[in-house]
Amino acid sequence: MKAANQRLEWKWGILAGTAMAAILWGVSPAWAQESVSIRAMLTTSVPADDPTAPAWNSVAASQFPMSPQVHWPTRIQEVTVKDVRVRGLHDGKQVAILLEYDDPTQDADDAAAIEFMVGDKKAHFAHGQPMGQVEGGPVNIWFWKNKDAKALDMNAKGFGTLKVQDQQDLKGKGVYQDGKWKVVFSRAVTTGDANDTQFKPGEFINIAFAVWDGQKDPASGDLKERGSQKAVSSWWYFRVDPQPDYTSYFYALLAIGLAAGFEFVVIRKLRKGPSA
Amino acid sequence: MKGGIHLKPVLLMVGLYIFLKFGMPLFTAPLPASLIMLYLMLMFSGIMIFMTLSGTSMESFLGPIFRFISGDGQDGTMKMARMAVLALFPLLVGWQTYTSTATSTVPPAENRTVHPAPPGEFAAMSNPVPNTPENVMQGKGLYAAYCSPCHGLFDGKGPASRGFTPPPANFKDPTTIAMLQESYLFWRIKKGGVGLSVEGMPWKSAMPRWEFELKDEQIWKIIMGEYDGAGQKPRTWE
Repeated sequence: MKAANQRLEWKWGILAGTAMAAILWGVSPAWAQESVSIRAMLTTSVPADDPTAPAWNSVAASQFPMSPQVHWPTRIQEVTVKDVRVRGLHDGKQVAILLEYDDPTQDADDAAAIEFMVGDKKAHFAHGQPMGQVEGGPVNIWFWKNKDAKALDMNAKGFGTLKVQDQQDLKGKGVYQDGKWKVVFSRAVTTGDANDTQFKPGEFINIAFAVWDGQKDPASGDLKERGSQKAVSSWWYFRVDPQPDYTSYFYALLAIGLAAGFEFVVIRKLRKGPSA
Repeated sequence: MKGGIHLKPVLLMVGLYIFLKFGMPLFTAPLPASLIMLYLMLMFSGIMIFMTLSGTSMESFLGPIFRFISGDGQDGTMKMARMAVLALFPLLVGWQTYTSTATSTVPPAENRTVHPAPPGEFAAMSNPVPNTPENVMQGKGLYAAYCSPCHGLFDGKGPASRGFTPPPANFKDPTTIAMLQESYLFWRIKKGGVGLSVEGMPWKSAMPRWEFELKDEQIWKIIMGEYDGAGQKPRTWE
């Protein structure tokens, strides 16, 4: 009878232990909130001017929804591109970002852009618009247009202030296939230009996107989307991944050793009994 | 039943956790993990103090646990269970250490204040436009033309809303215009997203600065049309 009672006790002991572990597990900080971001993965060779390179298939794409630009006149109510899919790769020196989106027609005026904040000041996602109570900073815009077959390095601080930089550090190339544009932008991770955004490995910075469908209205012959009439995204996060860091594995091993040692000491103490 | 002495504390801890994690968010904002941890630790300390008040209660509470850990007179399954617990504990500690020291691959959390305080000059304003059916109707017309592309049928789900984060406000939601005064809406429409204070993260808002395109009177009418359309009443001082 004693054995049966003891067995029951053990069952409750296990239940208690498991429940405590589950509770500790549940409140663990590993359950952090999720955000949407792109990480440029570390690789050995960056497909800097090849949007169709097989290397792009090795990284997962992040997808971001687009809206018509309604923040500032001239507004637009409807745009062609509803989402962009984005990937990033870097080798420590060069960083490349691939935009991919559905566009039923290939047009000379098809264009896409990536926007970053420059420096420490926050900038409004709409061309770094001036803000009422916050002193904003400029934005760095990477702009690619199909008919130009290149990317331009630009700055803006408010609508109507868009300016092509004197120092051009960008490469850009677009390929149209099966109703999809794939556009790759690439640049050195750091440039000597104070007007450029600079990438520090491991640090998240803000990124936004814009796309223009260069289709013409059949009746008027005017472009459907041009200038401020474009598809835009909000600010999201981007980072250039750091070199792999193994120190946390070391700390984990050390912690496992300490915990095992603690168990050993406790068991020894318990076995010796209260007199020990 | 002897097991009861352990069952009650476990149920108490699990119950408290479920209440804090899932029950509390029904009444207030979700509690941060660190606060939940603190409450659980307090409860755990309380249980330990209560159970160790007398020698007999201490023995009946801790005895089985100690015997389980030390492995006294255990056979088959119990032995296996003990080994599993002893192996699992260091691994759990190792995992916790890894997750707390590993460099994060998650962007920094953002604590955006949804309704930051308006500048003083907007706080004491009252709507100078009389609330007549005609004015409300005009306001709804202006709303359809200027606001509905993003805010939709007062639900924040207009055709242009999908790409914006934060999303356009849903006026039918009781935590938006129903808890704000008309003067607050006047400020937000007139000065737009760029007019927010730093805690409102103005750089993320797509809300236009309508003062360049709409007269004050039109803005007041839009506010009346908005409340009427969303089936809400503005908050007042009373």
